[in-house]
Amino acid sequence: MAGHLSGHLSSPRARRWGVPAASGLLIAVALLAGRLSTASLPGDVAMVSAAVVAGTPVLTKAVHALLARVVGIDLLVAVASIGAVAIGEYWEAAAVTFLFAVGHALEAATLTRTRSALAALVAVAPDVAVVLRDGVQVDVPAGQVRTGEVVLVKNGAKVPVDGVVVGGTGALDEASITGESIPVEKSSGDRVFAGTVSRGGFLQVRATGVGSDTTLARIIHRVEEAQDAKARTQVFMDRFSAWYTPAIMALALVAGVASGDVVLGLTLLVIGCPGALVISIPVSIVAGIGRAAKDGILIKGGEFLETSARISAVAIDKTGTLTRGRPRLTDVVVLDPALDRAEVLTWAARGEAGSEHPLARTILEAATAEGLSTPGLPEHTEPIPGKGIVATTGAHRVLVGNPALLEHFAIADVELAGRTAEELAEDGRTPMIVAVDDRVVGVVAVADEIRPDAATMVAELHAAGVRTVVMLTGDTRRVAEAVGAATGVDEVRAGLLPEDKLEAILELQRAGHTVAMVGDGVNDAPALATADIGVAMGAAGSAVAVETADIALMGDNLLRLPEAISLARRTVANMRQNITIAVVTVAFLLLGVLLGGVTMAIGMLVHEASVLVVIGNAMRLLRARRQRAAAQVAPAPAVGRTVPQSVGA
Amino acid sequence: MKGMISMSTTTATTHTVLRAEGFSCPSCVAKIEKRVGQLDGVERVTVHFASARIEVDHAPSVPVADLVAAVAKAGYAAAPVTF
Repeated sequence: MAGHLSGHLSSPRARRWGVPAASGLLIAVALLAGRLSTASLPGDVAMVSAAVVAGTPVLTKAVHALLARVVGIDLLVAVASIGAVAIGEYWEAAAVTFLFAVGHALEAATLTRTRSALAALVAVAPDVAVVLRDGVQVDVPAGQVRTGEVVLVKNGAKVPVDGVVVGGTGALDEASITGESIPVEKSSGDRVFAGTVSRGGFLQVRATGVGSDTTLARIIHRVEEAQDAKARTQVFMDRFSAWYTPAIMALALVAGVASGDVVLGLTLLVIGCPGALVISIPVSIVAGIGRAAKDGILIKGGEFLETSARISAVAIDKTGTLTRGRPRLTDVVVLDPALDRAEVLTWAARGEAGSEHPLARTILEAATAEGLSTPGLPEHTEPIPGKGIVATTGAHRVLVGNPALLEHFAIADVELAGRTAEELAEDGRTPMIVAVDDRVVGVVAVADEIRPDAATMVAELHAAGVRTVVMLTGDTRRVAEAVGAATGVDEVRAGLLPEDKLEAILELQRAGHTVAMVGDGVNDAPALATADIGVAMGAAGSAVAVETADIALMGDNLLRLPEAISLARRTVANMRQNITIAVVTVAFLLLGVLLGGVTMAIGMLVHEASVLVVIGNAMRLLRARRQRAAAQVAPAPAVGRTVPQSVGA
Repeated sequence: MKGMISMSTTTATTHTVLRAEGFSCPSCVAKIEKRVGQLDGVERVTVHFASARIEVDHAPSVPVADLVAAVAKAGYAAAPVTF
């Protein structure tokens, strides 16, 4: 097992195995002495030594724990083995302490594995940066780069900081952040993240975040916090085990005294160890959350995992989730015979030049792409909420918007424009009527592209056990229904204001659903907060999303959503299996002791075995990922990750 | 590691996070809190079992190496978080 922290950690690992090895050796000597000699003394001495070697650390821990007012497993084992020595059961004492020591060493080793996902994340943290200072390349520790400085990222090197590309081109493997291993092309203006790895090319990156102010650091921090945050079941279990151990001691005492059988009492102590029970939940959660993080899925904590496993309804904001959120110009309809297509588009672009509306950018970009001269900002721009925009440019008043906007400015002859807009809307497009001064000149229309994997995502959500998938959108019903039909969602709710989205979530909750809400926009915030689980998509770029979303999908891959839900379900199932294993083991051992046949040594063996089974079961959560990941690599290129993010560059 | 100024007093407190290895039972980490808490200048110690982290609030005069050594005395290897 490769240590991820640093070299000096290897000595405790040697210490970990030193105790069981020494005690095992002494037991072997004792058994051998028993064979070779008729005198029992040498064998007994060796046997007791074995118990002392393996038992002393247990006793020390038990005393420390007692001082901290914790009645733990160590105390049970210590009392049982001291008792066994006292009544002359040397072999039992040696066997119990030896098995306990071996079990502990194995537990420590395997528990480290369940934390391996996080260790891997910590391992990708960059340590060195090549900074350009006064035109000279200087090597500095990654944490000492100053924001605003330009760092160089060469082929094969790790990106040392969060930043923006200011020169060069290259491909980055962003798997550490997004879980997607297909390299992403980066060029000027693109955001890059610390801990991603260059797979070719040469990038100059202006640092915007360094050290603990990077997305990777935030992810690590979030995962650690999430692993520590206790699930409801775990809080219950903690309370349970606080009473359980003293109760076992009392039971053993009563049983021992009542039956007059000291061995029975001591055996009860050993088999009553709650070892498997106390770790049953944390191991599953650490493994589940850690694995999710490796796939670019951040889950806020155990409680959110448990809630996510119950999700029965998923509400999805259309724009940017089911669709690309980057609309394209689809139509330019000329209604003024004196003008041509280019002129209508130019007027639309001039009108929208000062607008902050997302669709404005689409029109401006389309005009630029068609080689039209896009003038500077209009002298005056005023958005009319819910209707469109009015701009004054070069002594002309330009209106871009819906029929209501034309009515607002009392423009005559809107009938043809209205009908054209209607027809475009029926095809799922968003029409905008363009009027210059008092004349309607034409209609332009834009449409948002449906993501290629949106339909697959909806199908996989259903397969993951989600009963209903609801699309929420502020867009018109026609556009929404066109998208709904193409993606297979169960229900479409269109024309919603932010507060309507919130109401839609509440309605689903009233119907008894556990609701997850997926969104990426600010206007989703109330709905995201109201939903049982708020899911942020493409969270890598947003520190707020990483820190606040119940589930943050770091990348832009839609299929991570059903994956997150099914992983949550598997983790919770895993947790339940572990609790069952632990409880059933103790019950069977108890029965075995009462019916006879289970000795202290057998009890400890079975008990330690159950602990390892529980850890091994949790580790399945880590392993399953690789199989799924392999299956998902093939179709990934079609998933749209390779499409360049910035349209204008 | 982030340096934080505590608001209630004029003394500065350093917040150090260590990542440890080999945590295997939730109750055995209690002694780490005790060991580290005994050091002069250490105000608060929190041990997280699941993520194997140790959070320490201490006076800046306490070297991080002393914290690591105290954890080692309790039987666990730890290293300061650099990222």
